[in-house]
Amino acid sequence: MTKILFSDKLDKCVERWKSAGFTVIGPVQRANISTYAAVEHAAELEFGHVLPDRSIKDLFFPQSEPMLRYTIKKESIDTSECLPPSGPRIIFGARPCDASGMAIDDPLFGWDYKDEYWFQRRNESVIVTIACTKSDDFCMCTSLKMSPDSTKGSDILLRPLENNKGWQVEELTGRGREAFKTIADILQESSEQVAPLAIVEKKFDLDACVAWLQNPEHFESRFWKEISMRCIGCASCTYLCPTCHCFDIQDEGDTYTGIRRKNWDSCSFALFTMHTSGHNPRSTQSARWRQRIMHKFNYFPGKFSVNSCSGCGRCSRQCPVDMGITETLQEISKLSQ
Amino acid sequence: MTENIHNTQQNIYKPAIMKIVGRHDEAPGVKTMRLEFQDATDHQFFKETFRTGMFGLYGVYGEGESTFCVASPETRKDYIECTFRQSGRVTSALANADIGDLITFRGPYGNRFPIEEFHGKNLLFISGGIALPPTRSVIWSCLDQREKFGKVTIVYGARTVADLVYKHELEEWQERSDVDLVLTVDPGGESPDWKNRIGFVPTVLEEAAPSPDNCIAIICGPPIMIKFTLISLKKLGFDESNVYTTLENRMKCGLGKCGRCNVGSIYVCKEGPVFTAAEVSRMPAADL
Repeated sequence: MTKILFSDKLDKCVERWKSAGFTVIGPVQRANISTYAAVEHAAELEFGHVLPDRSIKDLFFPQSEPMLRYTIKKESIDTSECLPPSGPRIIFGARPCDASGMAIDDPLFGWDYKDEYWFQRRNESVIVTIACTKSDDFCMCTSLKMSPDSTKGSDILLRPLENNKGWQVEELTGRGREAFKTIADILQESSEQVAPLAIVEKKFDLDACVAWLQNPEHFESRFWKEISMRCIGCASCTYLCPTCHCFDIQDEGDTYTGIRRKNWDSCSFALFTMHTSGHNPRSTQSARWRQRIMHKFNYFPGKFSVNSCSGCGRCSRQCPVDMGITETLQEISKLSQ
Repeated sequence: MTENIHNTQQNIYKPAIMKIVGRHDEAPGVKTMRLEFQDATDHQFFKETFRTGMFGLYGVYGEGESTFCVASPETRKDYIECTFRQSGRVTSALANADIGDLITFRGPYGNRFPIEEFHGKNLLFISGGIALPPTRSVIWSCLDQREKFGKVTIVYGARTVADLVYKHELEEWQERSDVDLVLTVDPGGESPDWKNRIGFVPTVLEEAAPSPDNCIAIICGPPIMIKFTLISLKKLGFDESNVYTTLENRMKCGLGKCGRCNVGSIYVCKEGPVFTAAEVSRMPAADL
């Protein structure tokens, strides 16, 4: 017997969480995009996608975020902080890859200097993840040594029952347990069978790829030019990636008052590393694609002991020219044989 | 060499407010500003953390922030001096700011030149053009405690006489008996009354032939100067681990998060900007 949350009770849960002060966020359809947004009723939630187009990164690290508001006066300058709207949130229906993506970026936003914009949102969010029973050709969690029911980064893991009847509940953290106390009487003890997990085929040999990337001789390999020849530098892969964290800081306003913002940026843009002098350390698209792969599978794990990739496959799924991490690592797997 | 500073005081993106108390034209398009903290806590934090070699992000609200070194020494922490060339949006706004105006500063960030390790050693400073400011911070940090170091040699060159920065300080160093200053300009860059060397920095360095014995070399300049100066230093017998330099890369945060200043796996903002030539030679050259 395990705890079950039946689908037809979900609306009651949403009500209960809202009255307990939580903002309830989940997968929704907006125009042609599936994404995550705050909802009022369970009926707004869309669970049919393998994976929403946008990841839950947007909820912790928005595309554009006000950080400071400045006012320049005659004799002084006032700077005030614009912190994220506070209050507890339940993110219902994250995917295991997205949830682990947030945990992957924690050390980056916290090493030495703590980014309070990230951590305020992290500390106020309960991530309720639904294990995957569907996958597509782009899913690659198993290649990253994760699985359709990985628990990393999640506070609650829900395993879908057969016929979309509901979910088996596994409480993983104190924060998750606390949030689910509010719906304790809605959950039912039952011996319902869970639906089989999605089968995600292993697409490349991660260890072999990492070893190849760590070899300094491969930094200037012809491979980088060949694999990135068709990259148009659009940055879709970095924006949709749950772990890509690069940003720009820009002021918006006039000489007297305005806002300093943190905006998503991307290593695939030429301007990203351009010096004032005109010198650009990564002046070609191949150097920029190499940076992205090296960063995810060599530099980042070197610093934080974890790959900066959670295997969601969005980079390949949404790439307008059909390249991505999967294709690149598959090629590297071949090279390293 | 890495000493990470934990800034737990406040929002890491919130800058300190600085008043411009001095402003000096160094060379065409190049200015030095002297800045004073407006907030005692910010100043105290700077006094506790600043060591020579560290950098900061200087900004004008509405325009943005730019990264350059702190050009003043760690022995003089009542103010910050910065020297920059007017070239983009932020540096133009800074250049247009006047004495009494307020600008912003975030930092100090990064690692430093470990000058205590240089005690008792001879120092050779080599610098080119607008790269004298970071070197100058180390030079004064050492000259302000002159007795702790051996012979001090400074080799400085610029494209033309007009492009030499800190001209008044160059005169001062030239007059000091405890400093050996070698000044040069590129061929064609001399003025009729130029009495110093004419030639590129690496060539002039080889002519001056400082001994590598018990000597630390600190070089700072454009990549092309560094490349050839390292070759010259090798010829003179300097070991790569006794040669220090400081790298610059585009930065937005200065805090190891915005993701662009890395050379290979090394984040210039956190693990640098000061590196030994031995460390630089281990970095992937194609990423520099």
